[in-house]
Amino acid sequence: MRPAGDVATVSVLVEVPPDEAFRVFTEEIDQWWRQGLRYRVGRGRSVIHLEPRAGGRLFESIGDGARVIETGRVTAWEPPARLAFEWRAVNFAPTEKTDVEVLFAPSPSGTLVTVRHGGWSRIRADHPARHGLEVAPFIGNLGMWWADLMTSLRLHAAGHSRA
Amino acid sequence: MESSLDRTLAALSDPTRRGVIDLLRRKPRRAGEIAEALSMSRPAMSRHLRVLRRAGLVREDGLPDDARARVYRLERARIAELRGWLEEVEAFWGEQLSAFKEHAERRRRT
Repeated sequence: MRPAGDVATVSVLVEVPPDEAFRVFTEEIDQWWRQGLRYRVGRGRSVIHLEPRAGGRLFESIGDGARVIETGRVTAWEPPARLAFEWRAVNFAPTEKTDVEVLFAPSPSGTLVTVRHGGWSRIRADHPARHGLEVAPFIGNLGMWWADLMTSLRLHAAGHSRA
Repeated sequence: MESSLDRTLAALSDPTRRGVIDLLRRKPRRAGEIAEALSMSRPAMSRHLRVLRRAGLVREDGLPDDARARVYRLERARIAELRGWLEEVEAFWGEQLSAFKEHAERRRRT
């Protein structure tokens, strides 16, 4: 069951050992990070980088570095067990950030990788992304990576009558 | 003008209040029971319960068989609103993790 609070949690079982899962997750991030505007700001050539150290940056480089968009800093670099970084959508104020923690737990068939994305309650209440908006449009406004998905998000929300 | 989602998130920014929600997920409880379960004084707990009530996350009402017994229970609609929002964040990471899995396992096979 989902923990209470403002943390989104997702897990996947990967059939590789933790050290390899950690290395692929970080070193090869651009190779698996999905393409498209739901996931990246850049429409054309875009590369996702994760600098491999605490204090390193997670950023997207567009058009061979013509534009660099920093998502946040690495706050924990503990291979092969744990990685944490800040997550700022492009429309957040400089002081606003959420937190992503990635856990790599050994399992008999490989590694259980868990992403915990929390800290949404710290985004100020009068942020344009939050102000007076209901859930689906608020999400659509969170970052440009969601911008083109407004319609499908609304359809998705409408299709899920959450009791 | 705060939206109801803002109030929900603000109310849940406190670990004690998250603990209350966890407790009430299982069953409705009296204020005294909640304070005891979370090792907190009743006055301190009643302040937290007030924040949760104002955010619309919980309500206080009587039991069907004993209207005098006041219990707190979850307000499902507000919880569902927050869950809807977190589900979208989870959908995003779920898609990313499935791409990660595919990539990590493919490179192992080759």
